[in-house]
Amino acid sequence: MDTLSSPRMAIALRISTAIFAGYGFTWGFIAAATAGLFALGMAFHDAEHLSAIFGLVIYLCAFLWSFAARSLGRVWAVLVGGGAAMAIAASLLQRHLI
Amino acid sequence: MREAIFLGAALITGLIGMGWLSLAMDTHWQQVRSEPISPPTTVRLRLLGTLLLTSSLGFCLAADHASMAMLVWVMGLAASALAIAFTLTWRPRWLKVLTRPIQP
Amino acid sequence: MFQNFRLSMAWLHTWFGLALGFVLMACFFFGSLSVFDREIDRWAIPSSRFEPQPMPSFEKVLRPAFEQMQPSKASLDFMRDRVNGPMPERFDTVKSWAAYTTHRDPVLSLFSGYEVSNAKDPEEGVWGNRTIDPRSGIALSDDQLKIGSQFFYPLHYSLNLQWKSVGYWIVGFAALAMLAALVSGVVMHRKIFREFFTFRPKKATQRSTLDLHNMTGVLALPFHFFFAFTGLVIFAGIYFPVTHTQLEPLHELHEKIEARETGLPHDRAGIAAPLASVDEMMNEARRRWADKGMAGEVGLLSLNHVGDANGYVSVFRAGTDRIALVGDGIHFKASTGEVLREDPPRTVVDSINTFLTGLHLQHFRHWLLRWMYVLGGLMGCVCIATGFIFFVEKRKKQHARTGQQGARVVDALAVTTVTGMVIATLVILIANRLLPQILPASWPARGDLEQYLFWAGWGLAMAHAFMRSAPVAKGLMNPAWREQCRAIAALAVLAVLLNWFTTGDHLLKTVWSDTYWPVAGVDLFLLSGAWLAWVSARKLNQRTAATRSAPHIRTSHA
Repeated sequence: MDTLSSPRMAIALRISTAIFAGYGFTWGFIAAATAGLFALGMAFHDAEHLSAIFGLVIYLCAFLWSFAARSLGRVWAVLVGGGAAMAIAASLLQRHLI
Repeated sequence: MREAIFLGAALITGLIGMGWLSLAMDTHWQQVRSEPISPPTTVRLRLLGTLLLTSSLGFCLAADHASMAMLVWVMGLAASALAIAFTLTWRPRWLKVLTRPIQP
Repeated sequence: MFQNFRLSMAWLHTWFGLALGFVLMACFFFGSLSVFDREIDRWAIPSSRFEPQPMPSFEKVLRPAFEQMQPSKASLDFMRDRVNGPMPERFDTVKSWAAYTTHRDPVLSLFSGYEVSNAKDPEEGVWGNRTIDPRSGIALSDDQLKIGSQFFYPLHYSLNLQWKSVGYWIVGFAALAMLAALVSGVVMHRKIFREFFTFRPKKATQRSTLDLHNMTGVLALPFHFFFAFTGLVIFAGIYFPVTHTQLEPLHELHEKIEARETGLPHDRAGIAAPLASVDEMMNEARRRWADKGMAGEVGLLSLNHVGDANGYVSVFRAGTDRIALVGDGIHFKASTGEVLREDPPRTVVDSINTFLTGLHLQHFRHWLLRWMYVLGGLMGCVCIATGFIFFVEKRKKQHARTGQQGARVVDALAVTTVTGMVIATLVILIANRLLPQILPASWPARGDLEQYLFWAGWGLAMAHAFMRSAPVAKGLMNPAWREQCRAIAALAVLAVLLNWFTTGDHLLKTVWSDTYWPVAGVDLFLLSGAWLAWVSARKLNQRTAATRSAPHIRTSHA
């Protein structure tokens, strides 16, 4: 996605991606990991905490990647797509467990 | 009292260890000895410095519960490094005494 | 967009460091002060200047105090829109009573939770809190602000901006930016090992400032990283409330399973029941800890479903000798005193989580480590401050040539955030000593007034910083730096003197004749700060005088 009108727009897009797409990916990860670990038998609060701890590291990585990556398109695809996929998986797993 | 002695030992070994590690670098060695450093001396200083920092960890573990000892050690290293850096900035000659055991 | 990885990280470090640095200064500075928050409370509330006390007797002290408690005004106001119909007048169905104490607390914090019969969400309730003298049970006046634990401490994690938790989010984002700044800083710093011990104050300002910035950043890198990270872990539930939204059903399922497994009822039975001897329960808990080879004090006492047949009492051991805040809980059936459950040893994951949160929250007894935390926090402040100064120095001359105001604005903001913040801190301490104990009825509460004066002081410092900033547009130093340093020196000494005049606790008394380290420590810290500020003002003066004799930068005409 290099066909941007101005450098200011480019920067704004990078920052938004880092913050919001990063947040979405992290949310999806935490949801999937919490449900997944709980389903595998881990104590609920343990699953919650472990997922959050890893999730925060992942948010940092996604944030840095948004600035380091050459193509924002790929970053969006992975963060938004991946985040949504994980969130959906978490809800499906929850439905199965209840 | 026992805890205080071990912690004191941890700080002192941390300080000397950091001192030796800093002197292993030519720039700092020259600040203290006014002559370039020789490669064997660098190796010796790095080895001894690392040894002393490890023993600092040992003293920390002797003083406290393992979970706290780790934190005390890491913070102790930071404080020691800062002290050595400021000494090199303002009173490098004070570190001359650390070089005597290595290369009289 | 960026040529390479290093350049992208340099951009990120510079601009996010600058923007969020203003928030992070407050987090690191007030975080450092929070290490000794309870000691600052002692300074601010002279009537609490006595020795730390263990958890007192439930029958003699706690029960009468609890029974007099009612929800706080703030809690009631919050709940008003969340009920069907009018708010009840009294709250007599007690969800929980809790008392928490550490080895540093002379006064005891009590907490209470009450059911609200007509709440829209039956899980929600109202809360009360009170501070008492555990020797007598007498409550501290609600109007005495604990400047350390109730002002500086929440300031560092929420900027005391309560509206919709926006302060928590700002600080959380700043913490993320801090982590990004640390990683990007390491990427940018080519000579990280070679310059590990390097500080050259005699060189040009840009070089010496960068040296100090690198040194304070790298030497305490594990500290900076872990504090930002663990801060985020502690509030992860706020930032990612997954289990209270998307996975709420899973959470509910777990609560029911847990209630069954532990034998600790989730809900009231609706049948009244008496309360057995809580003092006996605390003794039993202490006996069991000693048997396990970990004798200790009661850190947290909580009573749930008070007055109900399903009521239970939990006694937790204070984590004075380890990183965990409290642990090894023993739970008793409230009506009979029989042991329902002894908490099993922590799981691996729980130990990791407790280690991470505990290392940040520091309720352990270890004075050396505490002071080293303060050192780390102040190193963080110096790192951020030198970052600002480097940013300005790098662009000052160029902006002066082209007539831009950027460097000037950033410099004025830097003065506000560094020296201005310290001035505000001193203002609240001075106000605490000068304001009369009893204020006219129409005035705001004493604690609120102290806080207004804090923000007013900071505002004045900001105004001063901007008003004096014209020289920066010419490529020179803002005189506000040294002027505010002088103000800090004067105000800090004044605070110490006011403590002496208004309480009689001067340093000779608190250090020698009637030793009381909490107050002596605060006074000594203030005097050290005054000395540092005075020396800095002198050095800045010398530097300005030297520049004045150098040729002027010609500014362009607008």
